[in-house]
This record gives sequence, C-alpha cells and structure tokens, in this order.
Amino acid sequence: MSSSVLNTPALPSSTATHLTTWLPSRALRLLLRGLALGLLAFAVFGPLLNMLLWTVAESWFFPNKLPSAYGFAYWGRVFSPRGNAVESLVNSVSIAVGVVVLSLSLAIPAGYALARLKLPMRSLVLLMFLVPQAFPNLPVYMNIARLFYDVGLNGTYLGVVLVHTVHGLVYAIWIATAAFAAVDHALEEAARISGAGPLRTFSDITLPLAMPGLMASAVFVFLESLDEFTATFFVGAPEVNTLPLLLYTASAGGNYQIASITALILLVPSIGFMLVVERLLRADVLAKVGQ
Amino acid sequence: MNQRALGPILVAPALAMVVLFFVYPLAYSLISAFWSPEGWGWANFIKAYELYRNDIVFTVLIIALSTALVGVFSIAIGGYLVLGENPRSVAILKWLYRWPLFIPFVVAGQVMRTFLAKNGMLNNTLVGLELIEPVSAVSLLDWRGIVITFVWKQTPFVALLVAGAMASLDRSMIEAARNLGASRLRILLEIIVPQVRASLTVGLTLSFVTMMSVLSVPLMINAQTPTTITANMAFRINSYGDYGVANALGVISILLTSGVAWLYLRQASKDKSRAIA
Amino acid sequence: MKPAQILLAGVFAAALASTAQAQTTLNVATAGDQNMVDYINDYLGPLFEKQNPGTKVRALGTGPGDAGSQKIFERLDAQAKSNAPAWDVDVAVVHEKITGKLVTDKLLANYRSGIQTANLATRDSSKAALGTPVDGYVMPMFHSQTAIAYNPDIVKNPPSTYDELVDWAKKNPKQFGYNGIKGGMSGVSFVMGWMYAYGPDAKKLQNGPFDAELTKSKAWNYAMANLKEFNKNVTFTPGNAGTLDMLNRGEIAMGPVWVDMFYSWKAEGRLNPSMKLKLVGPGMPGQPMYYVVPAKAAQSDLAKKFVALATSPEVQAEGIVKRFSWYPGIDAKHVQAKLDGATWQKLFTDVTPDDLATKGKSFPVGPYFDAILESYERQTATN
Repeated sequence: MSSSVLNTPALPSSTATHLTTWLPSRALRLLLRGLALGLLAFAVFGPLLNMLLWTVAESWFFPNKLPSAYGFAYWGRVFSPRGNAVESLVNSVSIAVGVVVLSLSLAIPAGYALARLKLPMRSLVLLMFLVPQAFPNLPVYMNIARLFYDVGLNGTYLGVVLVHTVHGLVYAIWIATAAFAAVDHALEEAARISGAGPLRTFSDITLPLAMPGLMASAVFVFLESLDEFTATFFVGAPEVNTLPLLLYTASAGGNYQIASITALILLVPSIGFMLVVERLLRADVLAKVGQ
Repeated sequence: MNQRALGPILVAPALAMVVLFFVYPLAYSLISAFWSPEGWGWANFIKAYELYRNDIVFTVLIIALSTALVGVFSIAIGGYLVLGENPRSVAILKWLYRWPLFIPFVVAGQVMRTFLAKNGMLNNTLVGLELIEPVSAVSLLDWRGIVITFVWKQTPFVALLVAGAMASLDRSMIEAARNLGASRLRILLEIIVPQVRASLTVGLTLSFVTMMSVLSVPLMINAQTPTTITANMAFRINSYGDYGVANALGVISILLTSGVAWLYLRQASKDKSRAIA
Repeated sequence: MKPAQILLAGVFAAALASTAQAQTTLNVATAGDQNMVDYINDYLGPLFEKQNPGTKVRALGTGPGDAGSQKIFERLDAQAKSNAPAWDVDVAVVHEKITGKLVTDKLLANYRSGIQTANLATRDSSKAALGTPVDGYVMPMFHSQTAIAYNPDIVKNPPSTYDELVDWAKKNPKQFGYNGIKGGMSGVSFVMGWMYAYGPDAKKLQNGPFDAELTKSKAWNYAMANLKEFNKNVTFTPGNAGTLDMLNRGEIAMGPVWVDMFYSWKAEGRLNPSMKLKLVGPGMPGQPMYYVVPAKAAQSDLAKKFVALATSPEVQAEGIVKRFSWYPGIDAKHVQAKLDGATWQKLFTDVTPDDLATKGKSFPVGPYFDAILESYERQTATN
C-alpha cells in the first residue's frame, strides 16, 4: 500500500546507513508516494464519495454518470417529525455509551484474569465469548426475544444494552486479554517490590499500560452497538428505536438516498467517539512517557 | 484472597452474561438442528450437505482470502505508520485508513453495490481516466465484490489494532537494525511483525468470525450461486420457515469459526507459557 | 472522563424527554420496502391520528420481502411462547406466504367481521393464502403483481410470452436479468411463471391439492432443466431492488419487478422515466399484502379501527391508488367510483385490466411453492 515499503527490498546493504541517499531522485520518490496515497485515498473515499453523492441525488440513472438532479428533498424526509431520526440518534448513542461502559467493566476484570491468573479451561472460556459472533444470529434471536419477554426486558433500554453487550463482549474481552498479556511483568514486579499493593499495582501500572488496547476495544464495541440491527429489532423495537432500524429497511429495499443519509448521520457519533478516545489515549501515552 | 478463586470470580460476571443471554437461547437452536419432521437425527445436516456443500466451501474460501488480504494490508499500513520517513505521508495515511471502520456492513454493501457495478462509479472513473475501454468494463458484483467489501471494511479494524501494538513497541531494536543497514521491509517482517503477532492474530481471528456471520453484504452484492452460509440460512428461514436446516448450517458455521479460533487460542496459550517460562 | 459523563447525562436526559408523552400508541409493524413505512408515516398515520385524537401511530419497518414478514412472525411467536398478556404489535402488514402459518399457529385475531369494510374485499386471496384458509383473519392492503420491466430505448419489441422472452434472451445474452430465488420475491415470481408456462398442470400448482408425484414428473424436471439452460443467458441481479438498480444503470435491458415498487421508484424520480412494464403470458404471479391483527394486540379495538380506515374506499382511492399507484386491495368497483378517470387509467398504462385478468396469476399453493424452490436449489447446487 505504501510506496516505500514496497519499493525498497532491493536496497543494497553496502550503501550506507540511510535510504534517501540511495534512491535515484527525490522527485520520483515523491511521485510514487503521491500516487500510492492517491490510490489509497480513492480506494477509501471512492465508495464513500458514492454514498455522499447519493445523499443529495434526487435523480440518477443511466446513462448519466453523475446525478442529473441534486437536492435535499430526502433530507427533509429523514428529518420529518415522523421520521424519528433525532430520537433514534439519541437512542443509538446513549445505548452505545451504555454498552461501552458495561462491556469494559466486565472485560477489564475478566481480561486481567484471563491474561494473568490461573484459570481452569481458559481456552474454552475465551471461546465462549466468541460464540455470540460465531453463530449466525438469525435463528437465535427469536429465542432471545422469548427469554426477554419472559423477564420483562423487552422494549427496554436495559434489554437492548444487554444484548448489544453480549455481542460486543468478545471484542472487549479478547482485546483486553491480549492487552493485559502484553504488559511487561517486570514493571509490575518492580512496583510490588517497592511496596505497592496488588490493587495499587493494577491501577497505577497494569491498567495504564493496557489502556491503548482497552480504548481500541471500546471503539469496536461502540461501533458494534451503533450498527446493530437484528437484536435491536427483536428486543428493543417498537419502544426503543435506533438508527439502524431506520437504515435497514431503506438500505435493503434499495432506497439509497434515505439509507445514505441515515448512514451519514451514524458517522457523526462514531467519529466523535473515536476522537474522544484518541484524546484520552494521547494523554495516557504522554503520562507513560513522564513516568 | 485465594489466588485460585480470584480468577474465576473475575471472569464470572462476563461469563454469566454470555451464557444467560446467548448460550442458553442458542441451545434451543442447536437442539432444533437435530430435529426434523422425521424425528431426531442427522437429516438436517444431510440436507445441508446435499444442497449447500458448494456454498460452504465457497464461504470458507472467500473469507479466508479476505482475511489474508486484510492481514497483508494491515501490516503494510501499520508498518508504514511506524517506519515511514516522510511525516506528512504518515499523517495522511493515519488520517485516511480508518474511515471504512465507521460504515455499517449494511451500508458498505449498499455503497459497494453501486460502486462496483458494471456501470458503477469505479468503472466510470476508470473509463473517464481512459484507463480502460468502456466495453471492457466488468461488473464486480460476485465473489470479488464480497472480498473487496470485506477487505475495505475490515482492514481498518485490524490495522488499528496492529498499528497500536506497533506504536507501543520498544524502538531501540528497530533503530539498531536500521543502523545496521537492514531494509525497512526486513525490519517490518523480521522484527516488528513477530512482536505484534498477538494483536494481529486476535484481529484476524475476530475479522474472520465477523465476516462469517455477516448477512447483508453477500445478500446485497452477490447475485450468483454459490453464495455464503448466512445467505442460505436466511433463505431457509424466510422461504421455507425451515429452522432445522438453517440451524444445521449455523452449527457448521460455528464449528468452522471455532476451529479457526481454536488455532489462535492454542497459539496464544503457547506464547503465554513461553512468556511465563 | 468528565466530559464523557456530562455527555452521557445529557444524552439520557434527552432520551427521557423525548419519550415522555402520555398518549395511546398504536404500533404498526410492516414488512416490505421503505415505501410501506412511508405510506404509514406520510399518509395513513396522520390521517388516523386526526380522526382519533390522543393516539399516535408508530410505524416499524421490518425489512423487505418474506424476511420482513418472517420477523413479524418470530416476534409474535416469541410473545406467544412466553405467555405475554398483551403483545406489542397492534397491526401488522404481512406477505401472503407467512399468513397461513400465522393463522395455523393461532397468532392472529379473527377480526374481519368486526369492521364495516369487511365485505368490500371478495377476491379469492382474501379467503385463502397460498391454499391455507385465512378467511376472517385478513384484509388486503393492496394487491401487487410482478411484470417484466424493460428499457424501451433498447428493447423496441418487448416479448409478450415466456417463449418470446426465451428467444430474446438467447439473441441478447446477459441483457435479461433476474434475482434468482434467494434475492427476493420478484425472482421467485419469475420462476413460478416459468413453471406455469413449461411445467405440469399450472392450475393444479395454483389451486392444489398437493401431489408429490407431480414434483417428480417428466414435465417438472424438463421445465427445471430448461430453466437451468436459460439461466446461462441471463445476468443475476442482487435482489428486487437490484433488478431495478441494474436496469437503471443500463446493465440489463429487461427483468422481472414488482409493479408497485416500479411505480414508487418512478414517482419519486428514482427510475428512468422512460422504463415500461409488460406482463408476459401465460402469466406471472402477484400477491396481496394483508393487514392482520395479532391475537393479543394491546390495542385491538384501535387496531380494528385502523384497518377499517385503511380499507375504506376513500383511503384505498386516495392513498393506495392516487398517491402510491398501487392496485387496490378491496374490490376495484368500490375504489374506481371515488376517482376520476385519468387517475384510474394511470394505473393501467402498461398493464391493462385485461392483462391482469388473464395473466395475473396467484402463487402456487404452499407445498408446491416449496417444492419448486427446492428443485431449483438442487439444480443449481449440482453444476
């Protein structure tokens, strides 16, 4: 993907220490790099640009290569009072935040135990968390719905948060386990030797070191919840409406405008969350440098 | 507290959640995989094999291919982010690669459907740039479309994990290798990748599993037969109301994914015991 | 973490505020495409709310095609099995195929005699759904039909029978497209039409009774083998919308579509306005969408009122025919009287009432339906 990585294997080791001295000319290098980044940009943004065009395309058909009429009529429909877009957005975001909080509070102790402590049948336990992702859910949700009706969780925020958490937990726990496993034992032992208790060691040393991984997992859990359709339909709707519920019918039914606009709205909280996490991350990494 | 009790206690809440809210309801589905109008037995599995064996092979092949490509691209992206020497390119790449992560699968499917079609945006652009002739434009809405969509959507996921792990590596070894004149590709493959293998395999395993259970992408992109296991499960349920065969396909799917996950876990626990020893 | 906490609190407060409205809510779950949700949100819902102050109609789309209907079934089934006293769907709009199962599983209320429009729908399809008796449990919302859509700029003389269509596809390889049987009902409908044209005893397929021997007959296998041959000349499209989509982009010139979807896309300007429809002989299937009321609907009286309004001649004329260009669900004579001639004629621009009467078929009865799909799967699985 990146020009320099792919173009340097022929580097003769006899020529000195640095790459730049070897390449024929800076201009060519720049050109190659620009081309590679341009290609990547097209690969990433081409489909997204397509989506953006659909949000304002009022009429787009063959042989027109671009929409023949632009406008915001479909935006009006999405944001009409009955379109429920704003309420659904608020629901989607609050549920996703709830899912992240719940998942992390379950995953941090579990991930620590799985990475650091003695556990019987450790692999089987890890496998268990994968099951909700591994079995295509279509036939399972009616059973889940029945269970939730039994206990009165259907149509509640809590119910939706619970099913989303079950689904996202594999990301949280697997990544947390890997993150805790990667923390250097020596640092923890040093802390213990200098008198810190186990909890203190955990909160001051282990947790901060595992934080980048945990935060990355939080992003995935957040996104997983934000995009979830089937579980929300069975457990949440009609009381709890989320954006994917609006999106699904439109998208599967080929109403590209409505679907694209809804997807665009969904992008806002996803990217917002990512930025928040990034800010937290950077602060932590900096703190680590200072220690 | 007793060290031996602590582990299970810490894992218990999360485990209870999954068992209660997923594994228990799943049990009903698993049971129904073995129940057909003729009674208990393997009838559903036999039917699944008869009708869908091509689809099962197809699913495994395209998802394995997607996973492999995701791995290659993630390593390339992560590698350039740590080894790239032009700060501006690194910054651009860092900003660029993550976007597809935020697009739900159903939207990715829909977007790709109009992007990859014969007269879609991709071909129109290529024709517009005079890179291909209009007559040689082909539709990519088949297995290639699924692979492209999966790679597009999943690469940022794995790259994010891999790049994170690479960024937190100790740089002294990299610098040392560089001073000895090792090429960046060698540094990447021989020094960096082995150290981030845990993150890479977690990411790839999770990607594999996620892709196995996605329904919307094959439904919206692949018009041909064979198609994926999930599309056939949906078809069994929606057209025949046949949960038996659908669940049998689900069991096959979970066995395949568990197999892959098992490979990862075995590797991971080997690594762990080595780290402790 | 402070900003995050504030954000969280704000979000929850907003969520609470937006749901704190004391009124009766009528939950309408509808299978089908976005236009079904739009129909309730843009037209029927507001009308009902105006007539019944203090009620709020909430539309819930469950997704297109049989998958959408299946989700409604699963939802009701889950509530029945957990013995929920009142179910959270008051009115559902479902396809023909699931309705028989909904009735035999006792998930629906026998409500029809309780509404004053009960006698306005007398078609066979309001008494039986794919051979299963459903009389009393359903009111048709609208009737839909599949037909071949084509681009008249490319296709000057559209085929008018399956035979001519096969010929045309041979001469114009890959220009005919359909979505197989796994991508939605328009493709399924094309296959059923194929069986009526080339398979054994079309009447028996549509009316039953089921005879397993027929599915092993020579004619049956011959039709299937021919279809496999024909498939070599076609382009497969991803879904009902996918067929319209590929027509729109000029990638195919012809393909089977749902007439209602075709008109909806056209009315919204999403389809090339020059596209036309043709119902080919001997015929292609159509089906009604039904209004049903779940057995334990929380608001069953309001639900009946809602269906009565939805199936009144005024609403069928204004909403179904005039605004959405769908064929009415109740008998045509009640609706035609409420409309001017031009509006009524618009419905039949491409497909004449005569075409509909002779070439508009019903889907095969349940067991044949499944048998045809499974034969098709076996054919394509063994290539």
